[in-house]
Amino acid sequence: MKKTSALIFGSNEYTNEIVKNIKHKYKNIVIFKHESEPKNIELEKANIKIYEFSDSWDFLEDKYDLSSSIAFCVLEDDAENIFLTISLRSTFKELNIIALSKNKESANKLDMAGANKVIPMVQTTASIISDILKKPIVTDVLHNILYEKSDLKIAQIEVTNESCFDGKYPSDIEWSKKHGVIMLSIIHEDMSSEFIYSSKAKHHAIRNGDIFVVVGYETDIQEFKNLIGRDI
Amino acid sequence: MKSLVVDWAYSLSTSQSYQKIKRFFYNFLENDDYKYKKHFDIFMIILIFLSVSILVREVKHHVNDFWLFFSNYIVSFIFLVEYILRLWVNSSITKIIIKNYEYDDMLDREFRLSIVFYQILKIKSKYIFSFKAIIDLLAIIPFFHQIRLLRIFVLFRVFKLFRYARSFQTFISVLATKKFEFITLLMFSGIVIFVSSVLIYVMEANNDDSQINTLYDAFYWSIVTISTVGYGDITPATSAGQFVAMVVIIAGIAVLAFTTSIVVSAFNEKLDEIREIKIIDDIRKSKNLYIICGYENIAKEVAKQLLKDNNIIVLDEDLIRVNEAKKDGILALNYDPGNIDSYKKLRIDINAQVKAILCLRESDVENVYTTLTVRSISNSVYILSLLMNDINKNKLTFAGANEILYTQELVGMIAREFIGKPVAFEVIHALRSGYTNVDIEEIMIDERVLLSFLTVGELKNIKFRLVLLGIYKRDHKRFFFNPIDSTILEHGDYLVVIGNGVFIKEFKKYLHTKIRR
Repeated sequence: MKKTSALIFGSNEYTNEIVKNIKHKYKNIVIFKHESEPKNIELEKANIKIYEFSDSWDFLEDKYDLSSSIAFCVLEDDAENIFLTISLRSTFKELNIIALSKNKESANKLDMAGANKVIPMVQTTASIISDILKKPIVTDVLHNILYEKSDLKIAQIEVTNESCFDGKYPSDIEWSKKHGVIMLSIIHEDMSSEFIYSSKAKHHAIRNGDIFVVVGYETDIQEFKNLIGRDI
Repeated sequence: MKSLVVDWAYSLSTSQSYQKIKRFFYNFLENDDYKYKKHFDIFMIILIFLSVSILVREVKHHVNDFWLFFSNYIVSFIFLVEYILRLWVNSSITKIIIKNYEYDDMLDREFRLSIVFYQILKIKSKYIFSFKAIIDLLAIIPFFHQIRLLRIFVLFRVFKLFRYARSFQTFISVLATKKFEFITLLMFSGIVIFVSSVLIYVMEANNDDSQINTLYDAFYWSIVTISTVGYGDITPATSAGQFVAMVVIIAGIAVLAFTTSIVVSAFNEKLDEIREIKIIDDIRKSKNLYIICGYENIAKEVAKQLLKDNNIIVLDEDLIRVNEAKKDGILALNYDPGNIDSYKKLRIDINAQVKAILCLRESDVENVYTTLTVRSISNSVYILSLLMNDINKNKLTFAGANEILYTQELVGMIAREFIGKPVAFEVIHALRSGYTNVDIEEIMIDERVLLSFLTVGELKNIKFRLVLLGIYKRDHKRFFFNPIDSTILEHGDYLVVIGNGVFIKEFKKYLHTKIRR
């Protein structure tokens, strides 16, 4: 049977950190190591399957369920990473690819090569540094929420019970007082995101299929979820 | 007598008020970093220009008695007071007396006043005969304006400008680096002028058609010719004289070219130093300064993001990277951030003026070294450092970094969030970057806000379409999510609000203007 897997291309420090952070979700993690990369003892200790790189990727389709799998392209060299991404994309249209890039220029190329999400390391790190300096409290709060380092959680909830809002607009509802959660964003079916109390919030009644991004304590989020829909 | 002098020296050196006054005058006259010195310098420059203007006006016009009195007495008196004060603060007599007394006492020698007076005389006369002090003294001379010739000494006041305008000092210091070349040039010109003056005098003096009749005429002609000015009021009449003229003209071209090249090369060599002085001057008074150590990939990006609203300076020991930073419009110095001297040269108070020091070299060794260097100067300054290899995290923490950023860890966390809650991730990302016009801001509760608002419920943020995500309580060092209306606001708390950037600004204004009635 084909397995849902996390396929990580490249064996380095990034690989170790990614493995640490995704192993709770993916039981099957496979590393594809480039021949030029040294042995990764940490991964070997963790009993993770490590294969050597090859130019042909056809065997992946036979072994893994690529439509539900995720691929991380984390080679140190940007040019090789772009080449890898384009090879994967040209072979597997439905594979979810996350790629690392050193800078914005490579990030654009990775986008063009078909990566679903690109993490430009330099820009990301620099933005976090400047956020820490400019808005230390905001950065700390968001960091704790996003990476679940406090009791606060962030959740994506799909509305399946629109009747509980009774045709109300998002700006009419006192989310925090009534439900104990704070609404950060609403993603409508047309996938355009809008923030609560923004000017657009008055023009769209809540319907089934809308996705709410909310922040709150776990019990409040659970109650809210039970009331309006389901977790996604 | 001896004990009287020693007692007097000890009482002065231990007197706080005396030391305070002396320190004040020292700062006022000599310390470029002292904020009031600039005002004093401007005042003196104005006095100088007034004096010279009066002198020029007096040549052909009648000058009001008040202005003459002002120039001759008041200005001269001010200059005299300044001269005496400079002589006083230049060195410490009491220190010399005490030092000699203590040495003699320790070595069980007889304390001799004559030696002390000799040392005092030596140190004071060293100052008196310095170039600047001589100019100062000459500038006071117009005080004796009855002697008409002495009035011309007013012009020496112009030379005093060297004291007050730093650019003049820089100019002199640049030229001083080429002292040897200038002396060589002077010797060469002197010999050419001397030889040509004598030659032209010998050739022309006995010729009736020649305008050169005295050695002075010959000397004057030589200088006018060698300087390539050539007025043409005196010209050689004999062919031998013309030959001498040709030689002097060629020598003149060489002298001029040599002088120009010396000045240009002096400035070229010192250009970086002059720019460095300018940069240090620029940042010396700035507050909330960010010092970025290193200018590699991440540092470049951070500098770009901070540059807009903040004062930043880059320190890097690599000249190529420093030049890159300069090209990017950033103040940068070719200083080693791991060296204490680099921070001393900046002449800033790190605790008071620096908001954060960012160790952004892509090498853990360098960042640990820089962190330790900074910590050895200041215990309190905020240090943020990049970490390239996880195994060095403890070293950076031990060195004293307040915040450590490990890029690989960030990537791991981003990957975790992205596979778990991709929509939430994008929402937070959009909120952070602010490109959807919706921003997240922290607003400090200060005394002024507390005059109008005492509890969260009174804030009325909903009116501004702002969501109050929570409140950070300084006393508890804790973030309170979704606070209830009765939560009491305290000085130093931070509100974390989300909303349209314009509305946030309006809300801030509202918080600071509404007064409780």
